[in-house]
Order: sequence, then C-alpha cells, then structure tokens
Amino acid sequence: MSSPYRQMILELGDVGFSYSRQDAFVTKLSFSVGEGEFIGLLGANGSGKSTILKLCCGILKPSAGFLNLWDKPFSAYHNKDRAKLISYLPQTLDMNVPFTVKELVSMGLYPYDILPEMTADEALGLVGLSDKADSHITELSGGEKRRTFIAMTLLQGAGLILLDEPLANLDIRYQIELVRLLRRLRDERNISVVMALHDINIALRFEKVMLIKNGKVFGMGSPAEALTEGAIKETFGIGVKIMRQPDGKAYITYEENDNG
Amino acid sequence: MTPRLMIMTLIFFLAVGLSLFIGPTNINPFSLDETSREILFAIRAPRVVVAVLMGMALGASGAVLQGILRNPLADPYILGISSGASLTAALGIISGISFLGTFTIPVLAFAGAIATGSLVGMLGWQRRGLWPERLLLAGVGLSFLCSALLMLLMSVSRDEGLRRATLWIFGDLSMSEWPRIPYGMAFVFGGMIIAGLRARALNALMLGDEFAHSLGFTPHRERVLLFVAVGLMTAASVSLGGMIGFIGLLVPHMARFFVGSDSRFLMPASALGGGALLCVADLIGRSILPPMELPSGVITAIIGAPYFLFLLRRKNVLSV
Amino acid sequence: MRRFSCWLLFFLFMAPWAPCSAASAADAPARIISLAPNITEILFALGLGDRIAGVTNFCDYPEEAKRKPKIGGMSNPSLEAVVVLRPDVVVLTTDGNPKEFEEKLRSMNIRTYVFTARRLSELPQGIRELGSALGVKEKADHLAASIRSSLDSYGRSHTAAKGKKALFIVWPEPLIAAGAGTVIDDSLTLLGVENLAARTGIAYPKYSIEEILRHPPDVIIIGRGMDSKDVENISRGLLHRLKILPAVREGRVYYVGDGLFRLGPRTLQGIAELIGVMGRTP
Repeated sequence: MSSPYRQMILELGDVGFSYSRQDAFVTKLSFSVGEGEFIGLLGANGSGKSTILKLCCGILKPSAGFLNLWDKPFSAYHNKDRAKLISYLPQTLDMNVPFTVKELVSMGLYPYDILPEMTADEALGLVGLSDKADSHITELSGGEKRRTFIAMTLLQGAGLILLDEPLANLDIRYQIELVRLLRRLRDERNISVVMALHDINIALRFEKVMLIKNGKVFGMGSPAEALTEGAIKETFGIGVKIMRQPDGKAYITYEENDNG
Repeated sequence: MTPRLMIMTLIFFLAVGLSLFIGPTNINPFSLDETSREILFAIRAPRVVVAVLMGMALGASGAVLQGILRNPLADPYILGISSGASLTAALGIISGISFLGTFTIPVLAFAGAIATGSLVGMLGWQRRGLWPERLLLAGVGLSFLCSALLMLLMSVSRDEGLRRATLWIFGDLSMSEWPRIPYGMAFVFGGMIIAGLRARALNALMLGDEFAHSLGFTPHRERVLLFVAVGLMTAASVSLGGMIGFIGLLVPHMARFFVGSDSRFLMPASALGGGALLCVADLIGRSILPPMELPSGVITAIIGAPYFLFLLRRKNVLSV
Repeated sequence: MRRFSCWLLFFLFMAPWAPCSAASAADAPARIISLAPNITEILFALGLGDRIAGVTNFCDYPEEAKRKPKIGGMSNPSLEAVVVLRPDVVVLTTDGNPKEFEEKLRSMNIRTYVFTARRLSELPQGIRELGSALGVKEKADHLAASIRSSLDSYGRSHTAAKGKKALFIVWPEPLIAAGAGTVIDDSLTLLGVENLAARTGIAYPKYSIEEILRHPPDVIIIGRGMDSKDVENISRGLLHRLKILPAVREGRVYYVGDGLFRLGPRTLQGIAELIGVMGRTP
C-alpha cells in the first residue's frame, strides 16, 4: 500500500529504550510513517505499544538509534515547533477539570504565537460537536470526549496524530464512528494517524497495521500481510481463525476448546 | 468570559473603596481634617493594601496549586509554607528578639516560609522533576512537623507570648504599614506575573503531563516555575499578615463559578475575589464592634463559607 | 522478687491512708503548691515562703520563688509533678488554672484551695480567706487591712488623675489593651481615670488604632510584660502610627512594670506607678 514516493513524516531507526538499567524494553525498533498513512498499532498487553507512541512524540527519550521528524532529528525542534507537527493523545486524560469543550479545543492553539486560520468552532464542526461547544467536558460521553480531543489536535495543526488506545472503553458504535471520523479527516486533510488498539476485528479493516512483540516490530503491512493466523498466535499467544464474509471482509473467531 | 472578569474587577474596586472610607467612623474624602487624613493615609490605606495583596496572593496561589497538584482540596497552606512561617514568627515573638525592628517578624516569617517551601520542593523532587503527589505528601508531612514544633514551642513558652503568637498566626492586619508593603508587593506581583505567564501551561498540566508535553510544554519545568510562583506569593502573604484561611482553598472554586476553569481567567478572578473578600472581611472585623477588632481570618470564613455553600447548592460544582 | 512483693503490698495498703494524714494537718499545711504567680507572691508576703513546695514556671517573684521546684505552666500544670511533691494543699486560682485540674486533684484526695479573687476590691477578702485556710489568719488579716487602707487612701487622695482618659496597652503588636473587668481597669477606675478600652466590655480586646486617633487618650501606658525586655522596641511601630496624638507628641507615653498584671501585694506598687504617671500628666 505504501508508495515509495510518499513523504516520510516520522522515521525511527534502531531505536532502543529501557525503563530500568538492566532490561532493554525496546531494541532495534525501526519503522516510518508516511504522509497520509493510517496505521494501527497492535500487540498484546505489555508489548510496548504505549512506549513506542511515547518515543515517537518525545515524551520518552530513546537511549539508542535515531528519530527523524520531517527529515530532521527530533532534537532539532523546539518543543513548540514539534507540537505543531506531531500531537499525542494519551490513553487516559485527567478530565475532572470542568473545562468547556471550546476551552479545551482552543488549547490546540497554545503552540502558536500567530493564530492559524482554523478556529475552534471550525475544528468542532469537523468532529461534529458544534452544538456542544459550551458544555463541560465532564458532562460528555466517552466518544464525545475523544472527539473533543481530536478537534483539539486538528486545531493544533499537527500532520501526525498519535493516539494511545482511543477506542478503549467505548461502545462498538462509538469505536466505529471514531475510526470513520479519523479516516475522513485523514482523507480531507491529508494527516497521518497512528493509533494503538487491541481489537483485531477493527484492525482488520485498517489499511496498514503494525504488530508489536516485546518492543520490536513483528510485522508491518496490510492486514492481509501482517495479520495472519500465525502472526496473531505468535504475538497474542492465542490461536484464532481468520474468516471471510461473503463480501470478502475478514474477521476473526476462536474455537471454544482451543488448546494452543 | 471577559465581561464577567470585568464585573469582578468592578466589585473588587468597590470593595477597596468601601474599605478605605468606611470603618468604625466613616471618612468623607472631600472634607478631611487632620485626624481623618492620618487615619485614611497612615492607618487605613496600608491596611487595605495589605488585605488586597494577601487576598490576591492567596486566591491566585490557590488557583495555581489546585491545578498543579490536580487536587481540588489543595490550598497554599497545605505545602507547609504557612506552618514554617508561623513557626519562625512564633519563635521570634516568643523569644522577643527584634534585630530588624518592626521588620523582624515579617522577615522571620518570610524566611521560614521560603525555607519550608524549598524543603517541600526538594522532597517533591525525583527523577529530574517535581511530582504532584510527592509535593502534596511532602507538604502535608512537613506541615505536621512544623505544627508539632510550634505546639511544642507554645507549650513551653510563657502564656503571654503564647497569646501574642497565636494572635499573629491567626492573621493580623492592624499592624500594616507602608514600609513593608513594597517588599510584599514585589513578591506577590512577581509570583503573579510568573503564574500569569504560565497560565496556558497550567491549563495543559491540569489534563496530565503527557498531554501538556504534546502541546509543546515541558511539564516538570512548568511545574517548578508555577511552584516557585506559589511559594513567593504565599510566603509574602504570610509575612504580611499571618495566616488567613479559606481564601486559598475556596475562593478559586467560587471564581470558577463565574469565569470557568481556564487559568488565564481563573487566576485573575481568584486574585480579585480573594482581595475583595479579605478587604470586606477586614472592613467588617474592624467596624462592627469598635473600638474592638475581630480577626479578619475568622470573618473571612464566616462570610465566605455560607456564600460558597450557597453556590455549591445552586450550581453543579465539579471537582478541580 | 519477694521483697518487691512485700513493698508492693505495703504500698497498696498504705497508699489510701496517706492523703488522710495530710488532710488531718489541714490547719497548718507544711507543703503548699502554688499554681499562679500572684498566689506565690501572696504566700511569700504571708511568710509562708518556707512552706512552698512547688510553683509554676511563671513564678519569678520574689527571687526565692525562682528556686522552688517547678510544676509546669498555669494552664497546663503537670499532675505528676504536683503529686511527686506530696503537697498538703494546692492553691489554685480561677484566673488561669483549669477547673478540671482542681477536680482531678480532689478526686485523688489532695486538698485544694481555690483563690477566687479576681478584682481589686476582692483582694483583701481573698487574702484573708486564704490566710485562715492556711493557718496564718493573723498575718493575713494584717496584710489585708493594710492593702485595704492603701486602696482607700489612693481612692481618696489622688484628685490629679480624675477625669483623665488613659489607654493601658498590654501588648503593642498586635495591639492588645486592658479592658473591662481587669485589675488594671479597677486600678484606673480607683484613681478616677477613664479607661478608654473598658467600653469594649472585653478583658483584653484587640484594640483599633483608628479608634485611638478618633478618641485620643490623655496618656498612654504600656505595660512591660513579665517576659519581654524590649517592649519599648516593639512599641516603636505602634507609636509611629500614633504620632499625631497629642499624648505621643507631648511625650505622655509611659512604661510601667508588671505589678498590675498580678493581683497580689505588688498590685499596690503598680497603682503607685500609675499615680506617678498620672501626676506627670498635665
């Protein structure tokens, strides 16, 4: 799927990282994200999805390897300039502060000294929350909260959005709506999205997935290439069957008496 | 937002004006005799200025601290800054030393406040950063230690010194005088400017460090700056007039009802609200039972708490 | 071990009797504990100095009192320290000692005497009653009579002070004045001086500086407390703020000793000082 002429936004080469002195948590991690790509990051709990996203946005500093953002080393950017290029939404946000939706979305403008063209209202319009501008975020549903933060990252203007488990704790309807929204925004605005997720069925509909095991890229490519029964067994430690609907779309199922 | 902030500013100036001209005896600014002039300029004006400075410092510090500690129950005194100040001030009062004349106790209190503030900062420091939970626990721990030492000091001191130290600790604005004010003002405004410049960072920090990072802030550096701002404001306030409760804890919550949670409005609103409240409380304290004065800290809570509870019932209060 | 048990038994049987033997010596107690500085001073004045077994940390007059065993503060005396001194009687005051402490002592069968005089006029009678309770009735009557006559003569003779307005400052920062119901107020009233702070109706009110300027006193009297040597230093700020007052401008600010802070024989000296001060006031 990925075209060789595509502009590379983020490139990681042989990145290593460890939380403690003894164990390297991430070793020799290499991959890149091109303009307009929409990547799902999959892996078992503790495989390093969050760590990789945090390395990508600079919250964690790699102990080895290089990390380029728009062909320049990450360290060459001032924090504010970096924030205009890449934004990261953590899995959990302390949302007990009763900011209004609009206040929160406007925080996307913080890295800017000269205001960009988009306004908070436009950003809210893009995520379909125009009517909630003055509500407190504490009053919103889980899906609306996520959309609020996505509106904020749109205002932030970053070309690359990293999301850590944005679908967690959402009902199936909101999960699908959120993925559709992100995909639409990608199509309309040519932004790149990398999101960690754990639902293989949703990942099977992605254009590109990256399987993570023990802090390394186990496989990367279209779901058909990367999400094979063998790869899933290898990374998640459970045997599944990949089935096909009449229209050709894949889904997984597992056997009741699975002994592997 | 902004119109509401303007209304608060108006209320604030109204409170200051009232405090200047109303008192045990009202003063007509257009016909001043010598006594009235002396009362207005030498007694009342410095007192009102000190009330305003203290109230503003406590209100703004409370708003900042509740944000950086992500805790709606945080107040500037929780960091042990005031206990440290009370301890050194009480030491000074009870031992009766006066190496700097009338500046002795304020300077001792300021030194105590800065010392405890720094100690809390050092204890809250780990892995190249200030951590909210560590700060909070270090503050609470140190605060208990200082209070215990204060109790120890008071139980071995003579009853007379004890009463005076108690009076000082529970806030006394009657001794306000011009010479101390520029120093207090420098620290209060200094802290307020630092906090004001970092208001956006504070907003982002309230939603978490990673989020703040994503918006281009360095969370630990921002927290240190904001903590220093709170330390300066609180230390200056305690050294100007002792401990005044309530303002640091509840005025930010009251201000939130009016201007919302955005620190860029909440901080000035808390400062204005704190200043106005303490002014009015002091006005009441010195006017209702002349020639006796009631402690401002008590009045602050007596008029502030019911209003806060009223707001709490009427509006849907949300944490932080 | 056996010997220890014997001792234990001995104490168990003997202990309940011990207070009784003390109580029987009611008329002339040999071991007296005073729980207030003014009581200590009265006891010394009654010639009971040798019999004082313990005093508070604040009892610093006469000089000899400082060498007596200490039993703690006035508001927080140590029960253990009192019991260890095996007092025949403990003298307490209603002005500063906790009532519970007296009840506690009585429940332990320790004899107590409560000195209830708190006003100047109650002093002679208070001394008389205390003296008769401690078996020095004659001396006490004599002391009481002399105090009575001094008070009477003060009240009669010093017309110079009559009608003057005074403010007695107990502590300058924050400003605490001596108000209604205090020995200081009684003394000023005795001399015919109007105590400005009395109208607060409170014993030691936090006094408004504005009000001093509004209702200027003819004379400001600042008490040197028991412990603070540099009241004069600390007062400087206050006096600066009161600089437009005639009393301050014309130097009618006087410092007096601690006699008036303690209701006892030295109260008379305090009143004498007041008379001196008022005499200098035109």
